[in-house]
Amino acid sequence: MTQTESVAWIAQVFEMTPDQLTPDTHRDNVPAWDSLGVLTLMASLDSDFGIVMTDEDIQAVKTVCDILDVMRRHGKLG
Amino acid sequence: MRFILVDRILELEPGKRITAIKVLPVSEELFRDHFPGFPVVPGVILTEMMAQAAGRCLDAEGTHPGRAMLGKINGAIFREWVKPDQEILLHATITQNRPAYATAECCAEVEGKTVCSAGLFFVFVPYERFAAGHQDEVLLAYWKTHPDARPKPI
Repeated sequence: MTQTESVAWIAQVFEMTPDQLTPDTHRDNVPAWDSLGVLTLMASLDSDFGIVMTDEDIQAVKTVCDILDVMRRHGKLG
Repeated sequence: MRFILVDRILELEPGKRITAIKVLPVSEELFRDHFPGFPVVPGVILTEMMAQAAGRCLDAEGTHPGRAMLGKINGAIFREWVKPDQEILLHATITQNRPAYATAECCAEVEGKTVCSAGLFFVFVPYERFAAGHQDEVLLAYWKTHPDARPKPI
């Protein structure tokens, strides 16, 4: 998956359009990135890519770029 | 109206799948308003029925840090009207079952037809938030007739 495709996937998880997100977007600027949003992200990474986020991942993820890093570490981002 | 929207569990594999049944009698007050002269079970109530069935499937497992509560509804579809006094079969299959969340594909069936379906997302609310000693009466009734199905305390 390319970075553009990955950002589009993240946008869909948070019920936004791809043009509303960039890698620099902070979770404070994503209305749906609340506690339920974190669980939705975890469930989506799990179901779509087989990625199970660790507690450290969950604590560390604050921006779209951080999510991309998780995907990259698991080989899902080229 | 009490808010127990599952009358009886018919089949249960804790944490995996459940089939339950519910009938809303025509005497329920909500049918006076939904709708006058055309009483049908509200879609939100059907969704809650499916959520309560799936939630009990998760709670029956006894491995989560709390009670399953509906967090999100994904793509609910309502296909047929459901009338008072009709027997509603509730089916739920748990598709993801993790310590912090779970997902379920659910449907409700009347007279062999799927009347609605939804993907439901659950979170777990710590047991301490609820009344001390509370036990789910629907699950207790099921375990009374299926004692071998009850999970052993860890």
